[in-house]
Amino acid sequence: MQSFNYYEPATVWEAIGLLESLKGNVFSLAGGTDLMRTLKKTGFTDYGVLNLKRIPELGGIEFDGQVMSVGALTTVSTLAAHPEVNRHFPALAQAARALGTPQIRNLATIGGNLGTASPASDLAPALLVYQARLNLLGPDGARVMAINEFFKGPGQTGLAPGEIITRIDLTVPAAGTVGAFLKHGVRKSHEIALVNTAVLLVPLRASAAIAEARIALGAVGPTVFRATQAEEQLAGAEGGPVSFERAARAAQEMTSPISDVRAGNDYRKHMAGVLVKRALLQAWGGTI
Amino acid sequence: MKRAIELKVNGEMYPVSVSADRTLLDVIREDLLLTGTKKGCEAGECGACTVLMDGKPVNSCMVLVMDAVGREIVTIEGVGGLEGLHPIQEALVEHGAVQCGYCTPGIVMTAKALLDNQPNPTEREIREALAGNLCRCTGYVKIVEAVLAVSQALSQGRRG
Repeated sequence: MQSFNYYEPATVWEAIGLLESLKGNVFSLAGGTDLMRTLKKTGFTDYGVLNLKRIPELGGIEFDGQVMSVGALTTVSTLAAHPEVNRHFPALAQAARALGTPQIRNLATIGGNLGTASPASDLAPALLVYQARLNLLGPDGARVMAINEFFKGPGQTGLAPGEIITRIDLTVPAAGTVGAFLKHGVRKSHEIALVNTAVLLVPLRASAAIAEARIALGAVGPTVFRATQAEEQLAGAEGGPVSFERAARAAQEMTSPISDVRAGNDYRKHMAGVLVKRALLQAWGGTI
Repeated sequence: MKRAIELKVNGEMYPVSVSADRTLLDVIREDLLLTGTKKGCEAGECGACTVLMDGKPVNSCMVLVMDAVGREIVTIEGVGGLEGLHPIQEALVEHGAVQCGYCTPGIVMTAKALLDNQPNPTEREIREALAGNLCRCTGYVKIVEAVLAVSQALSQGRRG
């Protein structure tokens, strides 16, 4: 067996320096719940592992009442239990509770979930409707990427070589905004989504009309995506079963699911519509 | 290359020499010889390898041993002791919730973490907490009944 290269940088700049000098022959380890499976399959020999977990700057949640800055190493269980996440970003808290199992949620991180770029990510649809901004750091310095520009394909992201996600910023939506996350699977928990959706509705002040709608879907395309055509259907419309049904059909039209061992593409497409309508009704009926 | 590290397991410091590609599960079982923690799927799905890390249940097969340095690890050997079984273990025995027993150490660790943080969980909360522990004998009803019973007994004890 070849020796296994393992690195444990203490600062982000040390990590960036290592990533640059190793020229891609290294996996960045965050929570490890996906990477450990990959390493066990491929063996630990070909690539090294750059363990990011000892870098304090990548942890913690900071909130000034308007913008929340979530460290990339924040675990899914921390997100799920965080009072301000639940209060201001309920669809994200619901998504965090729907991910994996308690044991996985205690290890898995928000940054790792984004970096893995699974089309069936539970956190990504919620982060899409809250228009998360990803703070990236690499050899060329820091930059901010809107989350809707981040996903390029299954496992493919907009990260440049040697770049890591450092923090995820979320801005509190307008007052009165409601949101929901729903996941459909065969089991109640411990499940990879057959389809999932996050929705967010901003009501027009003192009326039953919708000023702005955001709808994101997962597991029904090569990446998680915003159903913009459905969102346009709802802008200015009155909220309720009729407009939600119309929007759900528009969202359904934008899906391109695959058939696999877990479900057929026709079933996934059908359930995408069902789930979007259900999430819209749930969000509109509830409040933040 | 081997690295000399120290692991804190069940309150004791264990100096070990490990290569960095090993999992916490493998080191617990093969180096510390604490074989109560079981190796099941090795893919983070079955929960047989559940240990507590800083009080939280995790799949030890998904943790590189290097990540356990500086953390408090509790395995099934750290539950109960010479004076007798932990109340959760007793309840599992009393309710016939142990069949082949392979999932039991993981179930005990997860249930302990739940009851340590939330002494009076509902049945639904117990089921949600145990969602990551598979019992291939499918004895879930008795497992949930046992955890519910021990939580009720503990809360009555506190009141009494």
